[in-house]
Amino acid sequence: MSIASNEARCTSCHAGYGWKDNTFDFTDMTRIDCLVCHDTTGTYKKTPTAAGMPDPAVDLVAVAKRVGPTSRKTCGDCHFNGGGGEAVKHADLSRQLLEPDRSCDVHMGGYDFNCVECHRTRNHKIAGRSSSAPVVEGGFSCEACHTNKPHHGDDLLDHHLNKHSDNIACTTCHAPVYAKCKPTKVFWDWSKAGDKERRPQKDKHGMPDYDPKKGEFVWKESAKPVYTWYGGFMKRVFLGDRLDWTRGEINISAPVGSINDPNSKIAPFKIMRGIQAADAEHKYLLVPHLFPRDKNDKTAYWKHYDWQKSFSDGMQAAGFKYSGKYEWIRTNMYWGVQHEVMPAEMALSCVQCHESLKGERTCNRCHQDNRDVDFNAIAHKGTDFSYMASKGRDVSHLVGTTDYIDFKALGYKGDPIITGGRFKRLPMGYKAEK
Amino acid sequence: MTRTGPGVLLIVTAALTGVLCCSPALAANPLPDEASPPAAMVWTAPDQEAAKKRAAEVVPFVLAVMDECRLCRQQRLRDMGLSVQDQSESYSLLDSPIIRETEDHYGPVRFMHAKHAGVTKDCALCHHYRPLDEAASETVRCSACHQEPFQKDHPERLGLKAAYHQQCMGCHREMDKGPIDCRGCHRKNVPDHKDHLQLVEGAGPFQVTAECLRCHKPAGEDMLKSAHWLWKGPSPYTLDHRKDVELGKATIATNNF
Repeated sequence: MSIASNEARCTSCHAGYGWKDNTFDFTDMTRIDCLVCHDTTGTYKKTPTAAGMPDPAVDLVAVAKRVGPTSRKTCGDCHFNGGGGEAVKHADLSRQLLEPDRSCDVHMGGYDFNCVECHRTRNHKIAGRSSSAPVVEGGFSCEACHTNKPHHGDDLLDHHLNKHSDNIACTTCHAPVYAKCKPTKVFWDWSKAGDKERRPQKDKHGMPDYDPKKGEFVWKESAKPVYTWYGGFMKRVFLGDRLDWTRGEINISAPVGSINDPNSKIAPFKIMRGIQAADAEHKYLLVPHLFPRDKNDKTAYWKHYDWQKSFSDGMQAAGFKYSGKYEWIRTNMYWGVQHEVMPAEMALSCVQCHESLKGERTCNRCHQDNRDVDFNAIAHKGTDFSYMASKGRDVSHLVGTTDYIDFKALGYKGDPIITGGRFKRLPMGYKAEK
Repeated sequence: MTRTGPGVLLIVTAALTGVLCCSPALAANPLPDEASPPAAMVWTAPDQEAAKKRAAEVVPFVLAVMDECRLCRQQRLRDMGLSVQDQSESYSLLDSPIIRETEDHYGPVRFMHAKHAGVTKDCALCHHYRPLDEAASETVRCSACHQEPFQKDHPERLGLKAAYHQQCMGCHREMDKGPIDCRGCHRKNVPDHKDHLQLVEGAGPFQVTAECLRCHKPAGEDMLKSAHWLWKGPSPYTLDHRKDVELGKATIATNNF
C-alpha cells in the first residue's frame, strides 16, 4: 500500500496544505501547516479527506494566538492514528497516551513526558528511528538518559540486570506486552475486501473483523511480542523490488541482527501479517488506487470495488508498470515495541524467561552464600502478569509461564543460565541436571 | 518544622527501593494514581505531580554550614555507607518559586537523582556541605542553602539559579557527559503570541502561515528540509540503502496496511 494516487486521504496527516497529487510544490513554504503541530488549544483539526486542509469550522486566528510547543495531542493526532485508526499501525501508540495510566506508559503516564522530550528536535528535524519507515533525522536511545547500566543499585539483582543490558533491549523486559492500552491490528487480508453483504463481527475486544473496503482483520490486545536479534538496522522491501514469494512469506520490513553480533540485542516486535496484491509477472508489490480523487473518479477501489482498475491507476501514479495480472501474497512487517514502557516493578521477572530459576535451586547454583539473600524472591521479583490479568488485560495465559523468551529460537542451546551466554564461557561449578 | 523538605531527607536506616522499584509493597499496588479519589477526574501524572509539589516548596534557609573540605566530606559520606538506596527521591524537578520570581523563559529541568547518584557514586559532588546544625539532615536540597542571589549577609552563597547552572554544567563539562546547552535540559517557554499577531478575524490557513513566516522564516526554511514536510529523507539504517537520501512514503516505501 502506498500514497501514490491516494494523496487526498493520506496527506491529511501532512504538515502542509494541498498535497493532492504529484504536482505539489515542496519548495513553497507558504503551504506549510504550522498550526497542526503548534496548536495548544486542542481545537485545530484537518479535514480527513482534503489533502491536509483544515476543517473550515476551526477558528484559525484563535489557534494562532495560542501557538506553543508540540504535545502528545498534536503529535498523536497523526501518529496515534496511522493506518486509519487508533493503534492500527503502531501497537504501542494510541489515544490512550493522551491521558495514560502510569501502568500503561510510565514516561507519559507517570512523568507526563511529551513526545519531543525523547524525540529531540533541532531545526524541525525530529530524532527517532522507526522500524516501519526508513527516514531518520537523528537518533536517541533509552540508554541516552538511563545509561548502559541503568539499574542503579549495588545488589545482586542490579548486577545481573545490568549485564542483561548488553544483550537485550530495555523494552524486552520493560514493555513485555504490546497494545496493552488499546487493541492493535495484527493481520489484514486485503483479498477478502469487496463483500458488501458480509456483516462485520466484533471480536472479544470489541473490534470489527471486516470492512468491505479493506478486507478482513485480526486484532490483539496486550499481546506478547516476537523476540529477535536486532542491531539497529532494518531490511526493507520497496516498490519495484523484485520478489520471490514461492519460497515463503515476504518480509516488507525485518530487523537485522544475530546472536554473534555484539551490537545486536534481543528486542520485541509486533509482526503485522498481511495478504496484499503483487504483480504476477513483474513480481513486485502493487499499489491500489483506493480513495476517489473526486466524484467523477472512475477507478478508485473504495468507489467501484474493481481491483484491476484500482491497480492500473495506482501503479501508473506510482510510476511502475502493471502487467494486468495480480496475485495475493502473504507479507509481514516487523514493528518495534518502543513505547508503553511500564513502571519498573512491572518489568518481567527473571523466572518468566529463565525456567532454571523456577525450582528449588535458583541463584544458589552459582552463589553459595544465601544467609542474607532470599534468592527465590529475587528470581520472582517483577511481573508474573497476574496483576495485569486482574485488571482485565488479555494475559491470563502468560501467568506463571517460564518460556517468555524462546532461547533456542534465538540461537542459544537452551536457558543461558544452564548452557552459557553468547560470548563468555565461564565454568560456573555446576552441571546441567540429567 | 524540619529544616529540609521531605524531598531530600535521607532516610538512612530504611533502605528505600524507589530507584529500582522492586519493593513488594509497590508490586502489590503499582498504581499510586489509583489511590486518589475517583471523583477527581482531572488527569495528572502522579510522579510528575509529586515532583512539582516538592519543587514548589521553599524550605527554611540554612544559615550556617559545617566547614569541611570536599575530600573529607566525600570520604565521610562514603564511610557512613550512603548509597543510591538511601535516596528518598529518585526523581526531582529543578525549579523553584525563588527562580520563577525573576525568570520565566525556560521550563523546569527533569533531574534523575538516582541516575546521577548511580553514575557518580559520590553524594558529596552535589551535597557539598551539610548544615552546621547537627540535628539537620546530612544532605539537604540545593535550595536550602541557595536561594535569592546577592544576599547581603551571605555573599559567599550563589543564588539558586546560578548554583544549579554551575553545578550541572560544570560537572557535565568536567565529565564530558550530559548537556551543557540550554535546550539540552530545558524546554523553552513559548511567549504569548496574542499581541504579536497581525491577522484579521476569519483569516484562512495561508494567511496564518504567511503571518507565522513573517517572523519565523528560518523555521520555514528548516521545515522545507524536514521529513515531516518531504515524507522522505536519508535512510542510514536500511540495509542496501544506507547512502540513499530520498527514501520514504513520498517515494517507494510501502507497507501492508
